[in-house]
Amino acid sequence: MRLVGVDVGGTFTDLVFTDTESGRTVIHKTPTTPDDPSRGVIAGVIELCRRNGIDPGALDHLLHGTTIATNAVLEYDGAVAGMVTTEGYRDILHIGRHQRPQHYSIMQEIPWQERPLVRRRHRKTVRERLIPPRGEVLEPLDEEAVREAARSLKAEGVEAVAVCFLFSYLDRRHENRAREIILEECPGCFVTTSSSVAQQFREFERFTTAAMNAFIGPKVRTYVDRLERNMGESGIGADLHVMGSNGGVATAKMVAEKPILTLLSGPAAGVLGGAWSGALSGFDNLITFDVGGTSADIGTVVGGAFAEATARDTWIGGYPVLAPMIDIHTIGAGGGSIAYVDAGGGFRVGPRSAGARPGPAAYGHGGDKPTVTDAHVVLGRLDPENFLGGEMALNVDAATGVMERLAGGLGMGLHETASGVLTILNANMANAIRSRTVQKGLDPRDFTLVAFGGAGPLHAAEVAALLGIPRVIVPHYPGITSAVGLLTSDLKYDAVRTEFQIGSAVDCERLNRDFAAMEAEISGQFREDRVDPAAVAFLRSGDLRYVGQGYELRIAFPAGTITQQAMAAVLDAFTAAHEAEYGHAFEGSEIEVVNIRVAGVGRIPKIGTPAPPEGGSLAAATASVRMCHFPVKGTIRPLETPFLKREALPLQTPIKGPAVILQTDTTTVVPQGSSLIADGKGNLIISVGETV
Amino acid sequence: MTLELTPPPATDTGRTVDQVTVSVIQGALENIAVEMGYRLMRMSYSSIIRESEDFGAGLVDASGRGLAESAQSTPLQSGPIPGYIRGILKIMAERGEEIRPGDVIMHNDAYSGASHGPDVAFVVPIFHGERLVAFAATTAHHLDIGALTPGSCGIVDAIDAYAEGLQLRAIKVYDAGQRVAPVWQILRDNIRISDLVVGDMEAQIAAARIGAKRYLELVERYGVETMEAAAEAAMDHAERLMRQAIARLPDGVYTATTHIDGYEDSSNPSHKALPLVVTLRVAGDEIEVDLTGTAPQVPDRPINMPLVGTVDIAIWLTIRSVLLDTAVYGHIPVNDGLTRPIRIKAPRGCLANPIYPAPTIARFCPGNQLADTVMKALAQAAPTQVSGGIGNLKVIAFSGFRGEKHWVHMEIFEGAYGGRYGRDGMDAVDTLYANTRNNPIEDIETHLPLRVARYELRENACGAGKWRGGFGSVREFAYLSDGAASVEGEGHCFDPWGLVGGGHGASAQLRLVREDGEQTPLPSKVPHKRIGTGERLRCVGPAGGGYGDPLERDPSKVLDDVLDGLISEDIAERDYGVVILEDRVDVAATAARREARIAAG
Repeated sequence: MRLVGVDVGGTFTDLVFTDTESGRTVIHKTPTTPDDPSRGVIAGVIELCRRNGIDPGALDHLLHGTTIATNAVLEYDGAVAGMVTTEGYRDILHIGRHQRPQHYSIMQEIPWQERPLVRRRHRKTVRERLIPPRGEVLEPLDEEAVREAARSLKAEGVEAVAVCFLFSYLDRRHENRAREIILEECPGCFVTTSSSVAQQFREFERFTTAAMNAFIGPKVRTYVDRLERNMGESGIGADLHVMGSNGGVATAKMVAEKPILTLLSGPAAGVLGGAWSGALSGFDNLITFDVGGTSADIGTVVGGAFAEATARDTWIGGYPVLAPMIDIHTIGAGGGSIAYVDAGGGFRVGPRSAGARPGPAAYGHGGDKPTVTDAHVVLGRLDPENFLGGEMALNVDAATGVMERLAGGLGMGLHETASGVLTILNANMANAIRSRTVQKGLDPRDFTLVAFGGAGPLHAAEVAALLGIPRVIVPHYPGITSAVGLLTSDLKYDAVRTEFQIGSAVDCERLNRDFAAMEAEISGQFREDRVDPAAVAFLRSGDLRYVGQGYELRIAFPAGTITQQAMAAVLDAFTAAHEAEYGHAFEGSEIEVVNIRVAGVGRIPKIGTPAPPEGGSLAAATASVRMCHFPVKGTIRPLETPFLKREALPLQTPIKGPAVILQTDTTTVVPQGSSLIADGKGNLIISVGETV
Repeated sequence: MTLELTPPPATDTGRTVDQVTVSVIQGALENIAVEMGYRLMRMSYSSIIRESEDFGAGLVDASGRGLAESAQSTPLQSGPIPGYIRGILKIMAERGEEIRPGDVIMHNDAYSGASHGPDVAFVVPIFHGERLVAFAATTAHHLDIGALTPGSCGIVDAIDAYAEGLQLRAIKVYDAGQRVAPVWQILRDNIRISDLVVGDMEAQIAAARIGAKRYLELVERYGVETMEAAAEAAMDHAERLMRQAIARLPDGVYTATTHIDGYEDSSNPSHKALPLVVTLRVAGDEIEVDLTGTAPQVPDRPINMPLVGTVDIAIWLTIRSVLLDTAVYGHIPVNDGLTRPIRIKAPRGCLANPIYPAPTIARFCPGNQLADTVMKALAQAAPTQVSGGIGNLKVIAFSGFRGEKHWVHMEIFEGAYGGRYGRDGMDAVDTLYANTRNNPIEDIETHLPLRVARYELRENACGAGKWRGGFGSVREFAYLSDGAASVEGEGHCFDPWGLVGGGHGASAQLRLVREDGEQTPLPSKVPHKRIGTGERLRCVGPAGGGYGDPLERDPSKVLDDVLDGLISEDIAERDYGVVILEDRVDVAATAARREARIAAG
């Protein structure tokens, strides 16, 4: 099969082509076209094919990572959305959990009040009410009121509608019927129901998810339709699949209905790419570390499987979202992060960033704030003539100038200040990684850090040292890891049901019925996608907690018929997981099965193992030897440091730090005390030594 | 006699540490506090902790000075932690009792640093070798603490501290690593729904122990001396930030008064309409907060406010939120240094500095009103950094029996903020020192014999202004079986204040609605009251005060509120002089109406 992965970033659209039969892989980069990213995608695919003699008509799958949904939320640029909801509950979306985002602030903004996904005027209420535990009908649906609401919304110019009824996760019929009526009144309108986007309890979060789906729906639908059409018109024969936040891809049709599934499209592909790179060298406990100009994305992969965030930890743009997402933690720390002295004389780095424009002072675009990149330049770790393969010359004087100003404010030396900027940033990143590992009972010493993005490999070894992580991997193409990750994905669809069943008295019949219904639902979806049933696998899990608790832990459920015996094993697994995650278990307390879940995975061909690189020699690799500053036992010392070209490194030959490895899309720093080898799989592997 | 509350003086250790290390250690300490909070919240059983987030977690140095607090906790829980520790240190010194490795100390004495009785702290001393270097502590609001009626809020008829439930004064629940079984038995025997409460206490201990473990890991890395020097530097840094912020205020004396309802239905005049008076004396980079003029304590009703644990937190919280607003200044780590330039003066025997055993268990809403009064005084010095008067809160303990077992559920009812310079007030949120969360309707109804019959914004009531106050909420709870309610609230009798020409907000209401629809108004404080099946409580939340002249409000914003159904066209015309015709602003009529209003003065 011939696959092409296309990841659209802020500046560049990255493309990777692979032929799964011949094993041939080529990469390409083209500028992103922000007004309509599909133009860049098409242009990139056509360019890639032309340059490499590939017939665009013979491509099988185009796997796409897109930020179109994310940007619509972050920029608050979506459709005029409406809502039809249960009478008496018009403002669930506005009141939220009645908590302010900030404790200590009078002037703060509350995102869901300041930037409502559905304005109050477009929130219509109708009589209907379900009640727990089974979704009994307390008040039948007033169909005429739904019809009237639909007509009003149409007259108000609404382009998308979310149907949000209380307890709809117990019985979807009221929501589905309302949707039908709205579509009768407003054909062509984008209509979504809360139970179809997230069939689980917690009304504010579920309604917000549905409202967000409506808010971004028309835009994403238009984008996907246009991209598919343009692909056809440009002679690109591939099926379009879009990367979801859950770490799998979905069909264009699915994404056009549930764009909410793609909010973490790009970062999720990054975690997959990191996992793939680690696996090449035989490592499957990984922390992925994707650092760009403004932020660092951190993911964890345990035993080759990525972690999924719990439903209470998934937010975007300040709004909660109940959608399955890879657990990715983002912090404001990157190459453009600005260092400053605060009003109290404290030394701070980030989260504010100079971005790409004006960018760091060293870029010479008028940036006048000292950034992390400037600190690297001052310390000599970035070669001004060899940055990004020599595409951009760095202005050392400008970097030194801003860093001297900062040093003056702190009363510190120039190199101590620059080194301090890195130390503080690295500590912030290490804290972020700690919160995803140590805090959840994972020991970072059992992990390998996979560093990518433009700035990841600059910091990875020092961050790893802070955490006791023994090893860092820098993938072959650190700048396009997300695009590579696209080519490692499977089709993946999720289903969830809220159960609220007590462990000791579980109604197994009900569990089996619900699991079967979810699997049938997903199978139907795969049939529509023409996926061979033999390539489909189901993964079952449940969200469990002690009765009374409010946070659940995700526990695997076995396939087949769930018996009392199987349930007992699940409950034991919960107790063990609770002990591991919190350091404590409440023996003898009742356990509640809150939700059950099925993830359906439809396997599709993937990128293969790349051809082994040809080794070079140290002499051939050495571009220059320069003086770089590194901390050695608490003082900053200039050390003679070889700058080596990655493509010419000798294989399996340890290179002692300090050393700097050059390649077009990133720079890797090997500090004093660490060493590096280029392995036979295309990865650089740093053995992390003690630092500080 | 006046008690002056001044924080302990900074100790000069003479050690120095570089600023990079200070920054790194401070970040690590916060990370530990966050981890403690994370674990506590996720492990705990009661919705008041895990949903409402009414808990705290923090690290404190060996002398009782705060080092770091969990970002994900409520300020009224994390803020008092250092005070708890100082109270414990004092009590144990008086008793001649020693703190030893392996101890876990429980404490809730409102006259020795605790915020009030239900907020029980569990404290783990951290030893490096033989030396006590710090404390890791968690606090949490417990569902029941053995007071006269079920639940731990709405105990509004407790006549003294003894009626409020168990008084736990620096009690070791682990003694040098050994579980002190009799103490746990006393807890189990004297607390209703003790399975839940004791489970939450175990979670608190587990979280505090993790904090201690992590702190020691940090000590291993940096050494005690460096850690201590970094802590001193971080506190000095926070102190400088606060001093600079205060120095930007014009020197002067700023006084404000507000009132609490107290017991509006009481026949005793000293139980109701009680003044809270705040005088700020700003001189250079320091503020004195003088509460002289505040009503005398109510000796037999629990609305007195512990000076350490409630009053101090209300004052610090407000000054900090206004002068070092996170939205303006970014994240500022919380530690002891922030409070050093602030001196609190409260006459002994007043509501804000009661004398033992005056009861304090229902101090939550009075304390938030005090925070609002501090803001009202600050408004004179920093009018563009405050909001108009806030709508205060209400807590209800719902309870009953399921079979032979108690059930208790506590819910906090939101208020609203006043208008702000350049921005309308926040609608239907927890206010000032409280920042808890409501419980999902779908969770409540699944687990309790309650139905949330309505949850919406309260229309046609808010403080008019160039930037209007926030809207309150209306929330109704229906009982599906016989039960009871205990209510502690405020803000029924006094409207939130307007600012710079803004209108006042709207006060709160509470009604008991019978099945036939007949409504009975209830006061803001209701001791344990039986509620029958089918009856409901309707809580009408307060709305914040307006900011600036309503006639200066952008007419298109008035139109927005009308189109959103928040205010009627009549109110648009009456309060704002905006005439709306067929969903549009009638520009000419509006100009004429506004001019006439201005001419009429």
